[in-house]
Amino acid sequence: MANWHPRVLSVVSWLFLLAVVVVGVYALVASGGPLLYIVIAAIAIVIGSMFGVATSNSGNHFTMGLAAAAATPFVFSGLDITEPAGSIASFSLGLTVVWLIRRLRGETERDLLPVMIRRFAGYVVYAVVYSAMRVGLFADLSGGWQDLFPFAVAVVAWLSVEVLLRALIVFGPRELSRSYLARAMLHDLNVFMGLALTGALFGELFAPVGWWALPIALLPYSFAHSAFKRFQETKTTYRQTIRALARIPEVSGLGIDGHADRTTDTATSIAKEMGLGPSQVEDVEYASLMHDIGRVSLSEPQILKMGYTDDDIARWSAEIIAESAYLQRVAGQVRDQYESYRKPGEQDDPDISIVSRIIKVSAAYDWKVHRSGMSPLAALEDLHAGVAYEYDPDVVASLRRLLEARGVLRPVRV
Amino acid sequence: MESLRRRYWRLQPGVQRRLKIAVPYSVLGVLVLLLAGIYGSSPDWIIWAIFTALYVTLEFFAVEVNDRLFHSSSIMVIMTAGVIFAIEPDSSATLGMALMAAVGPFVPDDFRERRWFQPLANFGQAVVSAAVAGLILDLLLGNLGTPTPQSLYLIALAAAVASLAFTTVQTVLVRHAVQVVYPFDRLQPWSHLGMLFVSQFLMGLLGGLIGGAYLIADVDAILVLIIGVYGIGHMSLYAFSQLRVSHLSAIKGFVKTLEAKDMYTRGHTERVAQFAEMIGVEYGFNGTQLEQIKWAALIHDLGKLAVPTELIRKRGRLDDEEYAQMKQHAHLVEEILAEVDFLQPMVEIASAHHSHYDGNGYGGRGHIEGKAPSLESSIVAVADAFDAMTSARSYRMALSQRYALNELRKHSGAQFHPDVVDMFERALRKSGRRWGAPHVNDEEMARRLAEEPELTLRG
Repeated sequence: MANWHPRVLSVVSWLFLLAVVVVGVYALVASGGPLLYIVIAAIAIVIGSMFGVATSNSGNHFTMGLAAAAATPFVFSGLDITEPAGSIASFSLGLTVVWLIRRLRGETERDLLPVMIRRFAGYVVYAVVYSAMRVGLFADLSGGWQDLFPFAVAVVAWLSVEVLLRALIVFGPRELSRSYLARAMLHDLNVFMGLALTGALFGELFAPVGWWALPIALLPYSFAHSAFKRFQETKTTYRQTIRALARIPEVSGLGIDGHADRTTDTATSIAKEMGLGPSQVEDVEYASLMHDIGRVSLSEPQILKMGYTDDDIARWSAEIIAESAYLQRVAGQVRDQYESYRKPGEQDDPDISIVSRIIKVSAAYDWKVHRSGMSPLAALEDLHAGVAYEYDPDVVASLRRLLEARGVLRPVRV
Repeated sequence: MESLRRRYWRLQPGVQRRLKIAVPYSVLGVLVLLLAGIYGSSPDWIIWAIFTALYVTLEFFAVEVNDRLFHSSSIMVIMTAGVIFAIEPDSSATLGMALMAAVGPFVPDDFRERRWFQPLANFGQAVVSAAVAGLILDLLLGNLGTPTPQSLYLIALAAAVASLAFTTVQTVLVRHAVQVVYPFDRLQPWSHLGMLFVSQFLMGLLGGLIGGAYLIADVDAILVLIIGVYGIGHMSLYAFSQLRVSHLSAIKGFVKTLEAKDMYTRGHTERVAQFAEMIGVEYGFNGTQLEQIKWAALIHDLGKLAVPTELIRKRGRLDDEEYAQMKQHAHLVEEILAEVDFLQPMVEIASAHHSHYDGNGYGGRGHIEGKAPSLESSIVAVADAFDAMTSARSYRMALSQRYALNELRKHSGAQFHPDVVDMFERALRKSGRRWGAPHVNDEEMARRLAEEPELTLRG
């Protein structure tokens, strides 16, 4: 899908919302159950949506609303409400309110619409599959192991729909490959599963012990939640620290201003465009942030006297990075950043990781544009001239697609 | 008996102190087990075995949340089992829980490394606290009969009381053990004990509730679900603790790089952090404050990364321009770490480590001309100055501790905070360690020694 016009997007959003409401009303009528329970479930979904785990770099945002929604089919089937209509009705109602709240908070339709579409579709599939599975051996909630089977199948179906839609529906300029998007969705599987299991736990317990189910289900989750939060926070501070330290050569006047930041931006975008997984994208991010950290050694008068090469800088950078256990893996990739992707006259290509190749191209591009003063197009042409041995043609091609999508390529007169 | 006593006195004090805890704790543990075995009726052994396996697994996978502070969720499992044993007829929670707790502390790692103290002490404290909780559960729930959803109130109450007792007894015993075994360090992790207390209590309460719900609903599925949610949380916590460690190591790594620029300052920041911590402990700082001051000490020289090496290593006085450039490093640390939110308080402390007590000196945000810097900055300043004097420089030998302390005292009230200097002296005396070269008591001599190595050889 191309870059959608805001007005078109707005119309599509309202149409989608209308569809949700229509489905909701239809399901409400079909459910034939007491309105009260459906409203309570919807309120639980709305309240739950306020308690979220934002998973910073993969772009997923999961809330307690998901757990509340996962619980409703369990609870409703014990309350003589026709399923899956009851669950779908309460979810539609909840989703509409959440949509309005998030719009009022200033979130854009461009961000909101894909999330809402995939959550709605995913949930409808979940509710339908769950109730379809509750036949024969699985018809009644007995508290035994067999209760878990319909739930497991339904959750897998839900997740598959979300992953699929995450890769398919994008309303912005397409910079990210579908493969990256699908993997990003799966990256936070633990949070998704934690929420879904909490919902199922509540649902299982509600029939035998009533509202006692709430503390019993919430306490383990609150433990998991605080663990998710801590992990995310530490990750954020870690990223901040690495960024800060990466700026040391620039602050001391030993590097080019903004080189590390710009290279990182280009490199991570290329990585996502090429469809690398989130953890590889993270490697690219750290490695490119730190790729020039070795320049701090340039304040050493002896080194300046002896002279140095790009390769020395790469080696020093790798040595510094290797100090951190978490970045060990990245050190080797930084070490290889100036290597050609293959060598003339050699049978086998050198074993240079994709991370190093991406950094090499990104750093060279930034150097050409910001140091040598070339236009983006001229720099790109220059890089294309080096694809025989120096730059990996796949990476250069990806950079071209990226720059085209961003619209920075302007024809120049030679 | 006589020879045993003599042998005891020949042991190292550390071992003596450990024995003072391990022996009474384990004897107490065995006694409690015996009593519970005599008076209590035995639990359903199959259920006992399942829960014990789970309990041991969780003990084994305890996660280090903070320095030396471990989070283990085993209390949840033991409380679940306790409630089940208490309510089921003809089985006692006291015996079941005490036996379960007795198995937990024996982790293979301890055997492999031939540690005897931790397993024995933990055996004692775990058995006693579990037995106390079990006794409460037996008394409150023993006559409950078949549980119904209504009896969950009583179960929740009993679980709360038992969990509170469990956690309290455990905290008291562990605290006592730590105080006896490590009388000299005031261990900073224990300041987080309050937080841990609350989470352990809640965990125990939850465990009790699960036990009740399990008996009422008789649902196997909920156990699977709880273990699922719980396991996911535990894995995240584990990932968090690993990330935290590597976060620390990343920053330490960078600090080391800084020091690599100048072999004469190697180890400087880590020693400054150590001295600053000693002073902080003397002041009775809590864990967070100590952590903060240690971080501040670690980053206090980060700005020097951006100062040309020749300047750092230069002997003699710097000219005005060079001095201005050197002064810059206090600001550079702010600039470098501007975007790191969690380090901001530490940056403020660190940026004022050249700020004087009388308001002179220089520094970044933490330094206000004419005003004394914060206590934390003063501590880092004293630690920094002390280490600068007691370690070797390119142009002079290390000076003695006596000289350095005299110097600090001479400038106390002007350059240094007088209280901080006093506290530091006291801390040094307590630690019993001496720093610097033993007999180099004046600056001139130190310089001469550095220039004429033969002098050093002749001593």
